[in-house]
Amino acid sequence: MLAKAKGSARFDITDGRRTERWRVTIDKGNLGVSRRNVAADCILRVERSSFERAIAGKLNLMAAVLRGEVGIGGDERLIVLLRRLFLKPARRRRSQPARKKP
Amino acid sequence: MSDGSVKILDGNTFVVSDTRGDIEASLTDPTGLFSYDTRFLSKWVLTINGERMNPLSVDDLEYFESRFFLVPGTGTVYVDAKLSVIRRRAVGNGFHEELTILNHADEPVDLRIRLDAGCDFADLFEVKDALKKKGTYSARAKGGKLVLAYVRGTFGRSTVISSSQPARIDKNGLGFKIRIGPHGKWSTDLDVATGALGFEEMGRTEDPAKARRRMRQNLARWIDQAPRLESDQEPLRATYRRSLVDLAALRFSPQVAGGRSLPAAGLPWFMTMFGRDSILTSLQALPFTSELAATTLRALGDWQGLSVNDFRDEDPGRILHEMRYGELTAFEERPHSPYYGSADATPLFVVLLDEYERWTGDRALVRELEVESRAALNWIDEYADLQGNGYLSYERRNKKTGLENQCWKDSWDSISFRDGRIPGFPRATCELQGYAYDAKRRGARLAREIWKDTALAEQLEQEAAELKRRFNRDFWVEDGEYFALALDPEGKQVDALTSNNGHLLWSGIVDKSKAKAVVRHLLGPRLFSGWGVRTLAEGEGRFNPIGYHVGTVWPFDNSFIAWGLRRYGFKDEAAIVAAGILDAAEFFEGRLPEAFGGYERSQTRYPVQYPTACSPQAWSTGAPLLLLRTMLGLEPQGEHLVVDAALPSTIGHLELLDIPGRWGRIDAFGRGRVDVEARRR
Repeated sequence: MLAKAKGSARFDITDGRRTERWRVTIDKGNLGVSRRNVAADCILRVERSSFERAIAGKLNLMAAVLRGEVGIGGDERLIVLLRRLFLKPARRRRSQPARKKP
Repeated sequence: MSDGSVKILDGNTFVVSDTRGDIEASLTDPTGLFSYDTRFLSKWVLTINGERMNPLSVDDLEYFESRFFLVPGTGTVYVDAKLSVIRRRAVGNGFHEELTILNHADEPVDLRIRLDAGCDFADLFEVKDALKKKGTYSARAKGGKLVLAYVRGTFGRSTVISSSQPARIDKNGLGFKIRIGPHGKWSTDLDVATGALGFEEMGRTEDPAKARRRMRQNLARWIDQAPRLESDQEPLRATYRRSLVDLAALRFSPQVAGGRSLPAAGLPWFMTMFGRDSILTSLQALPFTSELAATTLRALGDWQGLSVNDFRDEDPGRILHEMRYGELTAFEERPHSPYYGSADATPLFVVLLDEYERWTGDRALVRELEVESRAALNWIDEYADLQGNGYLSYERRNKKTGLENQCWKDSWDSISFRDGRIPGFPRATCELQGYAYDAKRRGARLAREIWKDTALAEQLEQEAAELKRRFNRDFWVEDGEYFALALDPEGKQVDALTSNNGHLLWSGIVDKSKAKAVVRHLLGPRLFSGWGVRTLAEGEGRFNPIGYHVGTVWPFDNSFIAWGLRRYGFKDEAAIVAAGILDAAEFFEGRLPEAFGGYERSQTRYPVQYPTACSPQAWSTGAPLLLLRTMLGLEPQGEHLVVDAALPSTIGHLELLDIPGRWGRIDAFGRGRVDVEARRR
């Protein structure tokens, strides 16, 4: 799902006065994670509690950005593609099992 | 403009004011400065010595700029013009206003100038539905600026107003006490800037003069790169130019597009990203510009549905319906972050990708979007066949704020039986089956030629053939000889006669043997008004010539019907439809509204605009472009562009020069020969 994304994203995760910085690099489907405080193509600033909801697939990124719960900067297209990292486990299919088509 | 309001816009920001340049919005009134679906200014009223202005004229310089010529005093019979007032306004990050006052008298004048300012920070949805706010407001003077703000938890929006001349600022506005000498002039630059917490995109500022220059150059380039149209018909040339300019105005750069643009739906309600509207407008515009299609495909692909979410009516592979940026979306009181409740955008996504490649030869984009296209094709059978009967149907899972009708005719009463009864859900409307068929056929071509997946190509072709066979059996209304509007949950035909038949021709799902009967209906007295094909046929239970989807004529609808007529070889009939719509455009100064009344042409003589239609609206703006394509019979074939013109006799000659595509640039010519007067009854 991230096959065409290339770049790096930094997550600034705040918890009280502490900020942890995680840098994720994406290179055509390969993910790398480090804890270095370096520049990245895009930055997401988020509180730990919100981040945990995101990991569990319970946070809609777009709405969270709009209400200021997640701050963003940098390459916006990459941020949109990052949604694909925060997926809820797949649920049932929507369509009914196919009846025999006449 | 016809409704007495003046609109200027740039991308997702627009200002709607009265002809004095004033804004006095109520909660339900759509005037103000809007950006990203939020109203950032709801009051902006100019007075001089306590008096309101009287408008002399408005000059809409460009779509992003206007100039108001005013005199003080509310207009009675005679206006004593010792003072002239000019407000020159341009949209930027918010807007910029140059206020100039000229004293024409031989004596100096002392003036109290006042600009009352205020903001309700309404979400566009609130303006539409008149809802109450949950956050807190503030207004304060700070550092020589007036700061209006609205805060609700982490959500914050602000408007900052400043002036180049020193002003007395209070929380209700700005005041100036000035003296202008004999035949003198005074002027100030007012800046109204929008801001948002945590959302950097909205906070960007650009020098106003630079922004204006950028926008002007951008528009000039846009016009310059489009094909040139030559014709003996001046109204046609005017309509073409209007369409190009309006399409430029309706371009919108969403967060994901990296500065490239795609068409937004329309002003003022739909200045945002829409799946269906953006795709159909991009299709209409393909012979003129392929940029819109490329950006639309990328942006919609990026936002493609990932998981099953009932609130957003989202499924994996589904293409979004609508994206919004306001407060209600932010707090998930509305599902538009984004909302996926559209049943046609997903197959149409594949249709657009294929048509785009046929015009441009851009195989790289087809490869780039392979994953998304496969997911879209998969959605049709895995998620959209709600009844397991092999037909694409819809039923919203968000019962509170989701959309009931997820096809283009999305008003509550648009889908009905002949006798006016409304069917239950799920509904399988006919055009959806056509789009699905076309998506499978086109997807098969992409799979075979570009993704090099023969197995998928064969599977899709087989499914398409099977769908076509069943469709022509199950949807065909025997006693009427046309296709039913839909199948209801029991599989019964929803048997009203509608314009949807034309979309079926466009998709190619109609058996050749049935096409003639369908065309007879489309051009027959019940559907064809003389201006165009009505959404619902006269004589049906719910027919109403000014009913939104139950009798009006939609220019966009007709442009696709004309394309469908061409596809089945009915050139003359396509020319008749094109002539009717283009004639109507003349009455709207080249700017076709979303819809107009379905009255007989012979009865009204002019097309009656639908009361609250959006204008300009993207797919109405695109309609003349697609009609030009169909009249000229432009069709890419391999590396070539085939031209096979069939023009109405109302056009003497028509040339479209420098049509861009995989062939480089090609010219197309045609002469009018189809006698439309005779066929119009």
